[in-house]
Amino acid sequence: MIDRGYIWRTTLVVVALLLVWGGLAVRLGYLHLGPNEALKQRVRQMRSVEQEILVGRGRILDRHGQLLALDLPVKNIIVEPKVVQSNGQVRTVSAHLARVLDLPYDQVLARVAKPGDPYEPVARLVREEVAEQVMRLQLKGVYPEPLTTRYYPHGALGCHLLGFSNAEGVGSAGIEQRWNSFLKGRPGLRQSERDGIRQEIVLRRTLQIDPQEGADVHLTLDLNVQYFVEKALDAAMTNLQAEAAWAIVEDVRTGAILAMASRPAYDLNAYSQTAPETRLNRAVGVNFEPGSVFKVGVVAAGLNEGLVATNDVFDCENGMWFYAGRPLKDFHPYGDLDVTGILRKSSNIGAAKIAVLLGEQRLHRYLSAYGLGQPTGIEVPGEESGILNPWEKWAKIDVTRVAMGHSVAVTALQMLNVLCCIGNDGFLMKSHVVRKVVDKNGVVLLENKPEALARPITERTAALMRQMLAEVTRAGGTGTRAAVAGYSVAGKTGSAEKIVGGRYVKNANVSSFMGLLPAERPEIGIIVVLDNPTDPATGLRTGGITAAPVFAKIAEPVARYLDVRPLDAAEMVYYQKILDGAP
Amino acid sequence: MKKRAQTVWRLLGAQDWLAVLLAAGLLGTGLTFIYSASWRGEETGIVGAWFGRQIWWAALGSVVATALAAVDYRFWIRTAWWLYGAALVLLALVLVVGTKVYGAYRWLNVFGVLVQPSEFAKVALVVLLARVLGGGALAPRSFGTVAVGLLLMAGPFGLILLEPDLGTAAVLVPTTAIMLFAAGAALRYLVGLAALGAGGVGLALSPLGRFMLSDYQHERILTFLDPGRDPLGSGWNALQSAIAVGSGGFWGKGFLNGTQNVLGFLPRTVSPTDFIFPVIAEEKGFIGASALLLVFALLLTRYVRTAWTAGDPAGSLLATGIAGLLFSHVFVNVGMTIGLLPITGLPLPFVSSGGSFMVSTLAGFGLVQSVHVRRMRREV
Repeated sequence: MIDRGYIWRTTLVVVALLLVWGGLAVRLGYLHLGPNEALKQRVRQMRSVEQEILVGRGRILDRHGQLLALDLPVKNIIVEPKVVQSNGQVRTVSAHLARVLDLPYDQVLARVAKPGDPYEPVARLVREEVAEQVMRLQLKGVYPEPLTTRYYPHGALGCHLLGFSNAEGVGSAGIEQRWNSFLKGRPGLRQSERDGIRQEIVLRRTLQIDPQEGADVHLTLDLNVQYFVEKALDAAMTNLQAEAAWAIVEDVRTGAILAMASRPAYDLNAYSQTAPETRLNRAVGVNFEPGSVFKVGVVAAGLNEGLVATNDVFDCENGMWFYAGRPLKDFHPYGDLDVTGILRKSSNIGAAKIAVLLGEQRLHRYLSAYGLGQPTGIEVPGEESGILNPWEKWAKIDVTRVAMGHSVAVTALQMLNVLCCIGNDGFLMKSHVVRKVVDKNGVVLLENKPEALARPITERTAALMRQMLAEVTRAGGTGTRAAVAGYSVAGKTGSAEKIVGGRYVKNANVSSFMGLLPAERPEIGIIVVLDNPTDPATGLRTGGITAAPVFAKIAEPVARYLDVRPLDAAEMVYYQKILDGAP
Repeated sequence: MKKRAQTVWRLLGAQDWLAVLLAAGLLGTGLTFIYSASWRGEETGIVGAWFGRQIWWAALGSVVATALAAVDYRFWIRTAWWLYGAALVLLALVLVVGTKVYGAYRWLNVFGVLVQPSEFAKVALVVLLARVLGGGALAPRSFGTVAVGLLLMAGPFGLILLEPDLGTAAVLVPTTAIMLFAAGAALRYLVGLAALGAGGVGLALSPLGRFMLSDYQHERILTFLDPGRDPLGSGWNALQSAIAVGSGGFWGKGFLNGTQNVLGFLPRTVSPTDFIFPVIAEEKGFIGASALLLVFALLLTRYVRTAWTAGDPAGSLLATGIAGLLFSHVFVNVGMTIGLLPITGLPLPFVSSGGSFMVSTLAGFGLVQSVHVRRMRREV
């Protein structure tokens, strides 16, 4: 039945087939046994991973541990258009993503339909819940990419002080910038192998350098005090139509900053949409001519030198005094005023005469001793140092101008420090806003203790100054609107005409008020500076009319919140002893 | 009735027991390494569902093989046209109501079980070719023989290509050629056809081929020529497969120790099916892989031995055809896993996991046994 030819042919077939398979075996032998170093190299490349272990940025907290800045875990939603396209699901996937991520369908479609694209982020910084919703759809070629984003829970509150860290996680303003090296931590390193779906095989890890997590920065700031301050500044901006406003609350005894705020402000979570002028931390970053608030330092110097006593009478020349051939005017004309009266009424001529008594060199020495003309060293970027020219370069009339806060420039913090020095029995404290830096293991890396920088005036001078400055807010003073019920406030008003293009402008003021509370034994010092405010009721711009009420608006809730004890008359006796003593 | 039962037992006893042993060995190897390919490592202790399913498919296939061995193959030869017609209908049906998996319509959903009509069609084509070429109606050396053979192949070939399933379609070509040659077709026609086929492949690779092949086919062929061209796309499997084989070395890394396999570099969706060979080659090395090829070679020679001793030309051609299928499958599958051929998605007979394929392979085995037990006898 089966012919020989058939056997022959099938034999040929089977031999041919086996030869072909033999070819397979040769190739197999080559792969198995041959020189496959290149292939092995490829395997190692594909397997081994060397990755940076990124760390979370440290948090920023206020003095009570309230979170001001922290890292939030979020997800980027990534689409692999190549995968989606090969599944032919471009439209379905786009429609689903557009719905869940609340994006325009066309925009999503444009990205998903990109030809030959292996990686396309369709949504960035998506909240975890939303990312989970996307994942529940189980779309092929869609996956979440975990990352963290900086989040500021209080939005604009304390924005100028806190600053922000940019998209790369580098602090770019405020505390975030200055304290970046502590906050950012140090990334770790890991060398290991990974499997086919690119996950690390923990058992094959060869090197692991643990990352140093970012440390937490604890501020001296009090969130609530900050809130009171910002609320008051917001009201001032609206009611007084000021161009800008800034204020500081400082602990008189320690120099700790309890609040520091500027207006205009911005939401830290949307920092990229703001102009640089808005980001300016005016409390330390703006030099301004202080005006009458500056008299505080001049009069204290005169007292401290024993050149004047509180009840020495000066002739205030009925509002017009010529010195070095130039006229010096008072806002209201006065005849004879004692030193208390000069402060209470804020007489330029009286202050000038005291300055003349001191002389340029001595006045300058005192002003330097208060820390004016040099940065306070507060731990935020962008601090200005004020302008205090060397006395040798002063023109002849300058001594009278400096006495009333002209021909000099200060930052609000410098000015407040002069007052706090008076409040702190003559000790000038170092202003600081960072309380401590603590790493993730609870180790304190740095702690700021109160530090006295100098003692420009005696305890007695300080006490006398407080007594006189308390008159400013009492009936007949310029700062009656700064009075706070239940407390006596030692303060000073100030207004200076703004300088625009090198010339004083008549109807534009920088108005300010600074005060200590309570006057007898101060605990907090507050300064409020308003740029070109106008009191809507009277049309006046002076510090006593505009800034003093803002001070009261801050001081009242802050004093109550901080539980500052009002002092009654009986306790004054204690101070009397100092006042009676020799200078 | 009693006599008939005795006959069946006698027939089964006359089987090619060496072939049965070889097939059983291949099935066992398959199960072992499907276990390995679905192993998820010591920590989890999980074995994928592939393993359990494979046991059932192997059991079902063995029942089919035994039944086919018992039934006279000449019954199938007689009904060959019907089988062939049914196959064409099913192949057409799959294009209309088929289930789409990985972008191709290859499966029919029959009460929840996915079956591949192309697997049935392969065997049906071989049976019909055995009938037509072995029937004596055609002058073997005439061009007509080749033309009829090619015409019969063209039907299922075209329909399977439309699914698209390039691998299965491609297997039909060498199988038909081998059967034609065995039937005595003139070599010059076959050589001519081979040249034509080579030209076709060349055309497919040319820019013109872009219009003739679907994107995935064109891409795969290009990727085959240069696996580095898209390491994470279609070239990934080819590259990882070559790495798996190469890293096995002479003795292999040991059972369950193949890192390419266990760590999932060989994608877990294909390692128990089309890429079972690199799993074996990695874990058992050159020794294991070549032993496996040797077993296939022995089985192939057993099939051809059956062809020699068959009772009639149709039976002989049937055995040769099944041998051709076995050869083509092993060649294409192993060839693609070691980077000799483009990735076409074709499983390894007896070894790979897969339902329809397992049943059709064992059905072919049963048909060969049916021929074997009726060797040199007129009638039983």
